Amino acid sequence: MGTIIECKNVTYFYPLTKEPALKDLNLKIEQGKFYGVVGENGAGKTTFCALLRGFVPSFYKGELQGEVLVEGKKTTEYGGELSAKIGYVFQNPFTQISGVKDTVFEEVAYGLENFGIPVEEIERRVVEVMKLTDIEALAMKSPFDLSGGQMQRVALASVIVLEPDILIIDEPTSQLDPEGTESVFAIIKALKEKQKTIILVEHKIDLIAEYADEVLVFKGGEIIAAGDKREILSDMSLLEQGAALPQVAILGSKLKERGLPIGQIPVTEKQALEVIAKALEERKKQ
Amino acid sequence: MVKTYTEKIQIHKSNKLAGLYPSVKFWVVILYTICTFVLGTIHLTDIGLSLLLIPWFLVIPVLCIASGAFGKCFKALKAVALIALIILVVQSFLVPGGEVLVKFGFVKICEKGLKTAISLSFMIMDIAGIFVWLFQTTENKEIARALEESGMNYKAAYVFTSTLQMIDILSENSKTIMNAQKARGVETEGNMIVRAKAFFPSLVPLILGAVIGSEERVLTLEARGFSLQGEKTHLFNLERSGAEKAVLATAIVITILVIAGRIALWVL
Repeated sequence: MGTIIECKNVTYFYPLTKEPALKDLNLKIEQGKFYGVVGENGAGKTTFCALLRGFVPSFYKGELQGEVLVEGKKTTEYGGELSAKIGYVFQNPFTQISGVKDTVFEEVAYGLENFGIPVEEIERRVVEVMKLTDIEALAMKSPFDLSGGQMQRVALASVIVLEPDILIIDEPTSQLDPEGTESVFAIIKALKEKQKTIILVEHKIDLIAEYADEVLVFKGGEIIAAGDKREILSDMSLLEQGAALPQVAILGSKLKERGLPIGQIPVTEKQALEVIAKALEERKKQ
Repeated sequence: MVKTYTEKIQIHKSNKLAGLYPSVKFWVVILYTICTFVLGTIHLTDIGLSLLLIPWFLVIPVLCIASGAFGKCFKALKAVALIALIILVVQSFLVPGGEVLVKFGFVKICEKGLKTAISLSFMIMDIAGIFVWLFQTTENKEIARALEESGMNYKAAYVFTSTLQMIDILSENSKTIMNAQKARGVETEGNMIVRAKAFFPSLVPLILGAVIGSEERVLTLEARGFSLQGEKTHLFNLERSGAEKAVLATAIVITILVIAGRIALWVL
């Protein structure tokens, strides 16, 4: 699959700062893959999202060196039409409401109205997305009267309905309970099956381990590790760098240290069950 | 058949006056306001009071009842009346000049005071009253849609609608902040001084919060294609009640009569 976003030697300074928020970023995002972005607070994850979406530097200003290409074209050369290509959902669900619509239905339809889509098609697409995100029961409620989890799903729906090829989702579950988190990830999984390119920032590392294809680890504005999730998330040296790793990966590596014959360190629960069961069986045979 | 959501969000009003096209309502408001100013210049009685403004106010309750929204309007009108009453009292006691009409101990009502008091307070009653009618019988989204339809820039229309929505949101937020500050020991209830002291700790976070929230609001809008050039579609469409022409004609005729009457009084 081809490259859809490319960062070339990107260094970025927020206005009036001397320390760069992003340093020497060189990266290719491939089409149809799911990227999990992890790293400690202040590592530049959100800035990275804003960079890919073109809000850096057009909205935040500041100084950008290097270039970001979306489908071969610089983000600075795009105008409003980047919103049709890249969907962007961010952390705080409470501010992701357009503030001019009375019902959830209209809120979700707002982007499509801006795109000038015919009314019948809007209706069809919005209903479809409301079903996918499980908010159809809320359709006639005011978007301001919702709980955090419901608002976050409305925010996701409002972006998904635009059918962008690329989705950037910045900590969608930081305000949610386990159930809400599950429902958001179910939506993300459904999107992955639709061959969308997804870039997801998330602190809940077990969920990244389960759903992502590739993992990018940020620290101090730099990518300190990038690659296949199984490779990255089983790299115990990342723990010293302040990155979180899945519990099962830590368990796997500890067991390996103790001499259990574990081949590849597991990163998800399912893998862990398989690997440990296999290792125990092998030990019995010995 | 099950109604589609697009049908559900439309506003249907059976009342012909309440269902008037918003721009027609707006014209009624403007013409009424013009009449109010014209009537305010007609001075009756020996000392020249603008008494015609008082019967002119009766138009508003009549309009509200005819629009079937008297209950809603009454609440807002009460608030307006209170302000007008305060102005009436303060002005009539404070403005000196002319003959002394009534005297209560050390306070007195002068001719000029009564004159300005009546014209000012009833002018406020009239003009605020007609706006009450406009806003109580028209939904925000109808006004926003009418603004856009009249050729207003969509950005300006957005500012208008979001401001109207913001009022509710901010009052909700201010309650939350008040409670939070109460929990920290800021007293918010009591006499004027206590309340005044609570003013800053509750207002500053409210305004700062709104300013910070606006940054993310911009990104949200941008993500939804707000700045996309080209034709936009609208799910919500305005309806005409059918009485537009008759109402507008009546309003114009009344305005002409009022102005003609004023000119006739000058000439005679």
